[in-house]
Amino acid sequence: MPLIDDLTAELARLPGIGRKTALRLTYHLLKRPADEVRRLARALESVAERVRPCTVCGNLTEQQPCALCGNPRRDPTLICVVEESSDIGAIERTGEYRGLYHVLGGRLSPLEGIGPDELNLRSLLPRLGGADAGTGATAGAPGVIREVIVATNPSVEGEATAVYLQQLVRPLGVRVTRLARGLPVGGDLEYADGVTIAEALAGRREL
Amino acid sequence: MPVLLLESIVLQTFPYSETSKILRLLTRTHGVRSALARGAMRPKSKYGLLEPFAEGLATFHLREGRELQTLSGFELTRSHQALGRNLVRFGGASLLAELVLRTASEESHPALFDALSAGLAHLEAASDEQVEAVALAECWNLVAHLGFAPSLDECLACGRAIGEDEDVRLDHAAGAVLCAKCAPGGTSSPGRPLPAFARATLGRFLRGVAWPAPERTGAHWALLRRFLLHHVVEGSELRSLEFLESALQERSGTGGPDDA
Ligand SMILES: [Zn+2]
Ligand SMILES: [Zn+2]
Repeated sequence: MPLIDDLTAELARLPGIGRKTALRLTYHLLKRPADEVRRLARALESVAERVRPCTVCGNLTEQQPCALCGNPRRDPTLICVVEESSDIGAIERTGEYRGLYHVLGGRLSPLEGIGPDELNLRSLLPRLGGADAGTGATAGAPGVIREVIVATNPSVEGEATAVYLQQLVRPLGVRVTRLARGLPVGGDLEYADGVTIAEALAGRREL
Repeated sequence: MPVLLLESIVLQTFPYSETSKILRLLTRTHGVRSALARGAMRPKSKYGLLEPFAEGLATFHLREGRELQTLSGFELTRSHQALGRNLVRFGGASLLAELVLRTASEESHPALFDALSAGLAHLEAASDEQVEAVALAECWNLVAHLGFAPSLDECLACGRAIGEDEDVRLDHAAGAVLCAKCAPGGTSSPGRPLPAFARATLGRFLRGVAWPAPERTGAHWALLRRFLLHHVVEGSELRSLEFLESALQERSGTGGPDDA
């Protein structure tokens, strides 16, 4: 049946879902009340239509700028740079950080063709009072940002990304620090527990 | 299903699910293999470090004919993680890994494994001044182990042995040199000039010897690029080489973040 095949094929494109699981999910959905399935469809549609990266920090949001960038009680002198939006939640859960964020959307990975141009770096420099790499225009408020905390994952690619950021930011006269080790090497920040992340934040080091 | 303990180097990793990773590994005796490491991204995973360039003893449940093997253990012997702290080292290590991945075979090739293992160690240990020549040498050494080395010792056309101080032309497509009599130069001659000193350097690189390092490296990178694109990846792009070249440019202060 083409409709069932279509849905199964779409589900099978999701990470970690094989053909068999996709088929099982499809039949599960078919057994649920139509209302419930429509709610799921609407939720997917709304996300696709309304969630966008924040124009300031790159965090996924329904409003521009995002709630973190728009919150006057956040410390505007600190920017924490993370690989993915989902890493923000992990750091926020610690309750230890009151500054702003910047989401790269990945990490340097030459093998996958991810170089500096593939990361959300273009909008970082203006936030630090530097020139936009593309337009040469300066924006933001120079001198407001005191420190950039690099919170890329503790992996070889995350480390290389941190080194790149340090080389990019330091000439602007902004302090650059890196989360301390203590996070599981080779893991993903998103899945680390709060105590580990809090400790790593407390022990961050100069790059 | 045989359980094998294989010396392995992690070339590349992909997240598979919230907690699992797929790895591409070069093994010493079973070529390049893909393996699923279940639970590798949990904070207290049984595997320890499964990151690019890590070297160790991998326990495989090997099923021949299957694309994806199951990894049940990885005992780290060398982490090579310091390669991430310098972009030239990181780019060089990525290029070595990409060359092995792009030519991947499941056949046993212990010499290739040893060359990659030594190459990563040399890149990690090299001083900042040495690292560029080491990257060139390790890359050409890997090319030689992969069976693509150009022949530099005799003329492709007349078969004559080339003297130590003879300038020749390198026909990169043919993977061989031509003497001055057979290819006197000018636009009608095939290949590009390869002066005697550059030929000597290239000969050393092919044996993995970085010293004495060439004073100017630009022409060597251009030669490596042309050669790899033609012979190893057949015209498709070599992403790590692009990354490495921009890291070298940034380091020498010609463009890049310091000038932004
Ligand atoms: Zn924002
Ligand atoms: Zn000849």
